[in-house]
Amino acid sequence: MNSGNNSNSNSLLIPILIGGVLIVVGGLIIGQLTPSIFPDQASAESEQVDTLFQFMLVIGGAIFLLVQGLLLYSVIRFRKRDDADDDEDGPTIHGNTTLELVWTAIPAVIVLVLVIYSYQVWVDIRDTRDDEVTISATGARYAWTFGYEDPQARTIDDSDEVISGSLPDLHTYVGQHVVMSMQTQDVIHAFWIPEMRVKQDLLPGRTTEIRFTPIEPESGWDYTDELTGAQYNRYRVVCTELCGSGHGNMWANVYVHESEEAYMEVLEREVFDPIINPPADPTIRGQQVIQTYPCSGCHVLDDLGWAGVTGPTLNGAGDRATTRVAGQTAEEYLYESIYYPGSYLVAGYGALMPQFQPGDPDGANYMPVNDVYAVVAYLCAQSSAEENPCDFDNLRSLIETDTGLDVTFGDEAPASEDSATDDTMTDDATDEDASTDDTMNEDADSDETESTPEADEEENTGDGSD
Amino acid sequence: MATISYPIGGTQGKPAKRPALAEYFRWSIDHKIIGVQYMVTSLTFFIVAGALAMFIRWELLTPELDFVSNGETYNSLFTMHGTMMIFLWIVPMFAGFGNYLVPLMLGAKDMAFPWLNALAFWMIPPAGLLMLMGYFAGPAEAGWTSYPPLSTIYSPDGQTLWILSLHLLGLSSIFGGINFIVTIKNMRPAGMGYFQMPLFVWSILATSIIVVMATPFLAGALTLLLLDRVAGTAFFDIAAGGDVLLWQNIFWFYSHPAVYIMVLPGMGILSEVLSVHSRKPIFGYRMIALSSMAIALIGFTVWAHHMFTSLNPELRIPFMVTSMIIAVPTGIKIFSWLGTVWMGKIRFTGAMQFGLGFLSLFVIGGISGVMLAAVPVDIHMHDTYFVVSHFHFVLFGGSVFAIYSGIYQWWPKITGRMLNERLATIHFWLTYIGFLGAFFPMHILGMRGMPRRVAVYDPQFQDLNAIVSVFAFILGISTFVLLYNMVVSTVNGKVAGANPYRALTLEWMTTSPPPAYNFIGEPIPYEDPYGYGTEASKEYLKAMESRFGPPPPAKPAPEAEPNAPAPAPEPAGD
Repeated sequence: MNSGNNSNSNSLLIPILIGGVLIVVGGLIIGQLTPSIFPDQASAESEQVDTLFQFMLVIGGAIFLLVQGLLLYSVIRFRKRDDADDDEDGPTIHGNTTLELVWTAIPAVIVLVLVIYSYQVWVDIRDTRDDEVTISATGARYAWTFGYEDPQARTIDDSDEVISGSLPDLHTYVGQHVVMSMQTQDVIHAFWIPEMRVKQDLLPGRTTEIRFTPIEPESGWDYTDELTGAQYNRYRVVCTELCGSGHGNMWANVYVHESEEAYMEVLEREVFDPIINPPADPTIRGQQVIQTYPCSGCHVLDDLGWAGVTGPTLNGAGDRATTRVAGQTAEEYLYESIYYPGSYLVAGYGALMPQFQPGDPDGANYMPVNDVYAVVAYLCAQSSAEENPCDFDNLRSLIETDTGLDVTFGDEAPASEDSATDDTMTDDATDEDASTDDTMNEDADSDETESTPEADEEENTGDGSD
Repeated sequence: MATISYPIGGTQGKPAKRPALAEYFRWSIDHKIIGVQYMVTSLTFFIVAGALAMFIRWELLTPELDFVSNGETYNSLFTMHGTMMIFLWIVPMFAGFGNYLVPLMLGAKDMAFPWLNALAFWMIPPAGLLMLMGYFAGPAEAGWTSYPPLSTIYSPDGQTLWILSLHLLGLSSIFGGINFIVTIKNMRPAGMGYFQMPLFVWSILATSIIVVMATPFLAGALTLLLLDRVAGTAFFDIAAGGDVLLWQNIFWFYSHPAVYIMVLPGMGILSEVLSVHSRKPIFGYRMIALSSMAIALIGFTVWAHHMFTSLNPELRIPFMVTSMIIAVPTGIKIFSWLGTVWMGKIRFTGAMQFGLGFLSLFVIGGISGVMLAAVPVDIHMHDTYFVVSHFHFVLFGGSVFAIYSGIYQWWPKITGRMLNERLATIHFWLTYIGFLGAFFPMHILGMRGMPRRVAVYDPQFQDLNAIVSVFAFILGISTFVLLYNMVVSTVNGKVAGANPYRALTLEWMTTSPPPAYNFIGEPIPYEDPYGYGTEASKEYLKAMESRFGPPPPAKPAPEAEPNAPAPAPEPAGD
């Protein structure tokens, strides 16, 4: 293989050209696999990422074919023959400067192109948009909670603060420029929606951000809201930073609604209406409130479709609580298990539950007394008994004595009788007020039935939604 | 041309005297004993860590938690698997190869610091014990990367033992690194400049430079972690002013160069094996040597590509640039190796099969690595099974294949016996197929949404996981073919002779195994460790054979006595 020999170079040219064409075509074919190995494209970002990846797969595929091809050719063509070859060595070729320059230069150029292309995609993906909406996310071992601020900027009572509420699910809609503003309660977690191709760690002591914009899905809509007829897709947000024993279970549903209207309706139904018009019945309020905490990450609760494995089941909690600890009533036991989770451990489970606290609103695991009252009431209702086994008066005075804070739940009449303080309240909301009680009573009936979160959406009587 | 003028004589047909078994169990300053001690200890931990992997794959046959009882147990499975594979298998195994071979390849009697050499080895068994003792205190379960606050506030006492174990292992590694650098600098024979050294020695030199520069940073990070755990400090405690990213930066500043510690010696082995068994000079010797140094140095500039989802977004692009750049010297090596094999006369010995397997698999790991270097793509793939696939392609398809190749290559020199070539072929195919089937689908699992370090996963991934697990079990079984081969060879293997492969590097210019003092007189290296194909090299080898006897015949008659002269000297193996 003397580079100076003309006839050798010429006879090499044809095989090299053919080989070159083959590997380029082969690379292009391999690149076509890209859509089948990625999940659906659900965000504007995913389109760019996938195209960048396909570009790299074409190049990588070509290099793969080149190397494997040369290897395969060599082991067949250049194997030692069994006959006279035994003693013979191969040709004394120490190198070839031209070739070595070529195979240094070409990868260098490829790398340069990739750097530039990737940089462009990166800049585009993290660019801020004009009309961004911030959704907050909190990661805690082992569940997600998402906080939504009222788009209508309503306030309640005398507060200046715009109302905001939490859900265990992430809701968004096509075209929404989402900014996730994320914090962790304990260890490092990471927020990843595979279909959106976005991932960002949640770091203690920091608020981290990630942006994405859902798009119209090419493969169409998978689900329909039974009440409203609006369509949506459902994905998962998955924790992708090892956070402990429940890491694999730490995921939440992501709902991408087909329109802003559908999205607003769902938020109104799930988040803001319960705040503006809280139910009088603490067990119903508890069912709403418990979903704003990360309990689903560790506990089984059929009523809400929870399947966590790290902690004991909550099915039938009300029944077990009455006799769990000698001398403790059901409400006392359930109260302690939230604010003092280490004081009694169910056999077979470790001391892993976060300790909720009512005192520091900015601190980790804050749960105000009104919430713990409602949650305990709801857990009491996880019972096969006809009547709720808990004494709510005892519960209220227990909380107030223990924390020194007043439980104001149920002190005032439900907000449906007060006029809303924001003039931009729409007629829809007023309609909801009028029929709130009916809705809530129906929910009370369905307490014991099995329902998943999405089934809940469909089962809610649609009085308040159009 | 080098001539040998010693009396003709010979140890034809009989294995040279092996050290007594008891020698290997006690303190010895002979680098050959120490080398074997390193290698056997490492192989033991390879089996243990491999068994942990089998448990992991058994659990992952189903999406629910069934084989292990809780998440913590599962987390400690992969934590210990990863930690042991890295620090108790690959790093010390290559140290073992280096220890055994570097003095021999340099024609020296031992390493520069034989006592330090022994000390470095003897730190490893206690370190391994400390690591295993973690199982009595609640084993480490925060991954081999051990990020705080998971590894500080939320981990049991076994994590402290884990830290102490790694301190010992890091110190051992540094001692070894110093020893290699001084040996290579000072103890080369006359006529062997740096660019006449075998490439394996170059690779150990580059590796050792990384070891002494980077490992102290691991020690620093581990010390901070230890203090946070036992002394009430707050380096990583947000509530008291600490920062979790501090750990990530210091840890990865070591751990990225560490991956080059884990692959460069393997590349050195590959250069030796490919040249010998193609009977051809290494293609582009100088570029391979220099690119090893380039990789060692550039390797210090890429660390935060492990942190693309936690690092300040402003800082991500520079690390993308450096991470992409490092693909270029790696590519140079792959093409140079292909050039070595091209137009050679390939013998498919066990060593060569695994060497070719390395080439085939490492390039896939390299390609997936460049994909991960692109920030927008890494944002999707980070912490998923795509990354698990990538590093297993380079660490198993690369480093472990190279280790297997090295075992087949130098087992004859170390023990005086050949490994069985038919078993080697079976071992190779089981390993190659088992490996591909286990790890290639993981690319797809990761891209489609499966995170890493989970015992519980979305049921849509079950089919692929089941396939992966079955092939992983095949891979696990393949290891036993090698172990069986080793036993058979020790008991009844074909006598190797001094130079069964008719190779040109100096370790072959003495008996197998070498005498305690390595060489009789001053060995004279051939002018080019890869100078196959010239008349001069044939003369050199002939002179060697007349001194030490010819290599064993390739296909002996069933009842051939070991002393029967072969019709013509042939290289051993197929």
